[in-house]
Amino acid sequence: MQYNVTIIGSGPGGYVAAIRCAQLGFKTAIIEKYDVLGGTCLNVGCIPSKALLDSSEHFINAKENFKEHGIDITAPKVNIKQMITRKADVVKQNVAGIAYLMKKNKIDVHTGVGSFVDKNTIKITGKEGKESTVTTEKVIIATGSKPTPLPFASFDKKRIISSTEALELKEVPKHLIVVGGGVIGMELGSVYARLGSKVTVVEFLDSLIPTMDGTMGKELLKVTKKLGMQFYLGHKVTSIENKGKEVVLKAEDKSGKSIELKGDYCLVSIGRRPYTEGLGLDKVGIELDKGKIPVDDHLKTKADNIYAIGDVVRGAMLAHKAEEEGVMVAEQMAGQKPHINYLLIPGVVYTWPEVASVGYTEEQLKESGKAYKTGSFPYKALGRARASMDVDGLVKILADKQTDEILGVHIIGARAADMIAAGVTAMEFRASAEDVARMSHAHPTYMEAVKEACLAATANRPIHM
Amino acid sequence: MSEKVKVPTVGESITEVTIATWLKKDGDQVAMDEVIAELESDKATFELPAPKAGILKIVKQEGETVPVGEVICEIDTDAASKTTTPKEEPKSKASKEESKPTPSASSGPKATGEVKEMKVPAVGESITEVTISTWLKKEGDFVALDEVIAEVESDKATFELPAEAQGILKIVAQEGTTLPIGGLICKIEVAEGTPEATTSRPTETAPSQSAPSGDKSYAAGHPSSAAGKILSEKGISPDQVSGTGVGGRITKEDAVNAQAGQQKAESAAPAPTPSGTREETREKMSSIRRTIARRLVTVKNETAMLTTFNEVDMKPVMDLRSRYKDKFKEKYDVGLGFMSFFTKAVCVALQEFPAVNAYIDGDDAVYHNYCDISIAVSTPRGLVVPVIRSAELMSMAEIEKEVMRLALRGRDGKLSIEEMTGGTFSITNGGVFGSMLSTPILNPPQSAILGMHNIVQRPVAIEGEVVIRPIMYLALSYDHRIVDGKEAVSFLVKIKEMLEDPGRLILGV
Repeated sequence: MQYNVTIIGSGPGGYVAAIRCAQLGFKTAIIEKYDVLGGTCLNVGCIPSKALLDSSEHFINAKENFKEHGIDITAPKVNIKQMITRKADVVKQNVAGIAYLMKKNKIDVHTGVGSFVDKNTIKITGKEGKESTVTTEKVIIATGSKPTPLPFASFDKKRIISSTEALELKEVPKHLIVVGGGVIGMELGSVYARLGSKVTVVEFLDSLIPTMDGTMGKELLKVTKKLGMQFYLGHKVTSIENKGKEVVLKAEDKSGKSIELKGDYCLVSIGRRPYTEGLGLDKVGIELDKGKIPVDDHLKTKADNIYAIGDVVRGAMLAHKAEEEGVMVAEQMAGQKPHINYLLIPGVVYTWPEVASVGYTEEQLKESGKAYKTGSFPYKALGRARASMDVDGLVKILADKQTDEILGVHIIGARAADMIAAGVTAMEFRASAEDVARMSHAHPTYMEAVKEACLAATANRPIHM
Repeated sequence: MSEKVKVPTVGESITEVTIATWLKKDGDQVAMDEVIAELESDKATFELPAPKAGILKIVKQEGETVPVGEVICEIDTDAASKTTTPKEEPKSKASKEESKPTPSASSGPKATGEVKEMKVPAVGESITEVTISTWLKKEGDFVALDEVIAEVESDKATFELPAEAQGILKIVAQEGTTLPIGGLICKIEVAEGTPEATTSRPTETAPSQSAPSGDKSYAAGHPSSAAGKILSEKGISPDQVSGTGVGGRITKEDAVNAQAGQQKAESAAPAPTPSGTREETREKMSSIRRTIARRLVTVKNETAMLTTFNEVDMKPVMDLRSRYKDKFKEKYDVGLGFMSFFTKAVCVALQEFPAVNAYIDGDDAVYHNYCDISIAVSTPRGLVVPVIRSAELMSMAEIEKEVMRLALRGRDGKLSIEEMTGGTFSITNGGVFGSMLSTPILNPPQSAILGMHNIVQRPVAIEGEVVIRPIMYLALSYDHRIVDGKEAVSFLVKIKEMLEDPGRLILGV
């Protein structure tokens, strides 16, 4: 078959790029290795983890908060099988949705491993080794990423597991050891902590979610400790052993003092690495740089008709970042000139409470020597938060000391992930803290905390504090 | 011996000049006839040569307006004998001289607490007001004595304003403000000591309580994401677009319109779309433009100006010209243009109708027995009107040569005041720009001006037949106070007749 654009990988970057290409009138094909579309995000990432996060949140509410709300029930029990089944249904619906969108936009879906023959020809190897080829004017590589294993302990997928297996467990672990206090470790760790597991997190650095503003990590540590999670920060894992029915982890702190943890599962979530296996990049002269595909500002690779987007290129490994890149590449191919402001791609952690942020962190501002001011407002002081008993968290606004322009918005608390969009909008239009503070925010809402934090940042004059 | 150098008489109507630039510094050794300064009148710039060799002592500073005949510098001729000695010596001598008057001339820094009010100085006889064009120092800046703090513009020239005291600047008149002579420009809080000791701004201590909410902000010119995409696709830089959003932000609509605006400029299409830009920009007119504006209104208000028209069949002149232009060029080394025909015809007619060649001075009418014809010439610097002197005595070739010489000097900006003053009648040619018909405005104090226009092939009736002829419309604007309608009309008919029968030019009938 002959195409204008062929996309390899059907994750959020790939399928969005495909739809935008089709909208712009390109004859478009998408190649997916698995039988289902949607990639990591839909199948073993964002969506299933959110399904389980919400299930576990409902459980803990029923168990601990209903009574306070005046709802008396017999002690609830976890039906992990049903939880996993419901999660699978959610995934199935979403995947079917993508298949429908491909059909609607007349995008040809080829199932199999895509591999370059040359820069205009891609060989597709199906499950039973059936081969076919497509020729194409342009290619978008959107093959995403895979969990990174520890060098001394590969995933055995039984006791030493990645996020993929953690979403498929048949039982609630008695003691889940989590290696890595980043986004994935904290999300899945908190799920099982709520479902009753003892959860111990071992993190090499001295803080949780270290790429985010320091205040967020500290607050997250506080609220997850309340959940009963235990933490060994500043500890380096030295060995993990699968002893059949249990797994033994050894780690040591900076002074060399070692600890030993025994659990039934060990989730290794130390990050993800770009996935380019079998792509045949050598056939088109693309060389990897630290595992990533090097691209220019327009996401073009060394080969002038081949682009790469999402987790396989530089930048944060986020579904929405990949989506923006997919749209940008498609529009460029149509002669348009879109632009992505990477500073304004929000980062979110779907724990409960959620963590979300956009712009610069306080650490970055300090390092750059920029004169800034901060304003914070705690959820505790918010009527809406008290009404729903979600009083953990705060909003922190960073603003330019001279101009009052908002430089960063950092939220930990209920619904932070949805609220951050307001921060993105404000920053996209370069609003000042006072601009936001002077906008009417509906009462009672969680967003009032953003308004109050902006008042605090403007001139330290929040109303409800 | 010291030779006093006075402002030379540069032209009849010029009473004062402004010192544009000193090319030599105070104390410099100058040679005889060496150009030492550039002087400027409202008509032209000219050079001032040193009348003697010696050491220059500047009396009037740059930007000062000086009446004709007043001393602007002195040349110490005693030093001329020392011209063979190294330049350093006279210089150091001069600098000693210079250092003496400085402390006495300027009152030293006074006790803190005193406020020096700076007012618009009298910069010239006819100057009644000035405009603050640029503040070179900001509000609250520490300024040193004699440091240039602002540029001020009159309708004649731009000059620099030196600080009259050392201290903290308090601006009173903002940029663009027009002030009368003696109007308050700024205040200087007189301060002693080094700038470091006094520059600390009290504003720093006060926390910036309120955020900027003015029209322009740090975000001025910031395009929204959609606007940014549109602009970059149109190849328009955001700083070329004036944002109408909050704080000067560029909205999507601004970007869409910026695109439309550019297209409008590229193709002067006759079908403008209603989506065109509707911006207006406002800027201060230059002082020269304001002078022109004032004069034109004066002419309209103070004369009884009206215009009479006629048309000329250019065929005879064109035939004559095409027949002899090569021989003419060969013999006189200048092309035979239309200007010589018109100038010649005008001179003959002026002598027949002396009122057209006269002007009113108070209660008198001043007549001329010569024809000094002002020719309007478009130059890169604007319209200039050099004069062909005693044109009535010139041959066709002499007129063409003079026109060429004046046009070239005009193009190079070298026309002297003298070359541009004293005309008795003007000719302007709007035809070079394609004008079919216009009503020229008088060049005061003259009483009439002839307007030439483009030559167009038109059907005309000649002896009962419609024929196509090259026709030029002529317009004569005149001051009815001194020129009667009969005279004006007859004058123009006379010109028409001579051009349609060039033989009459030779005979003067």
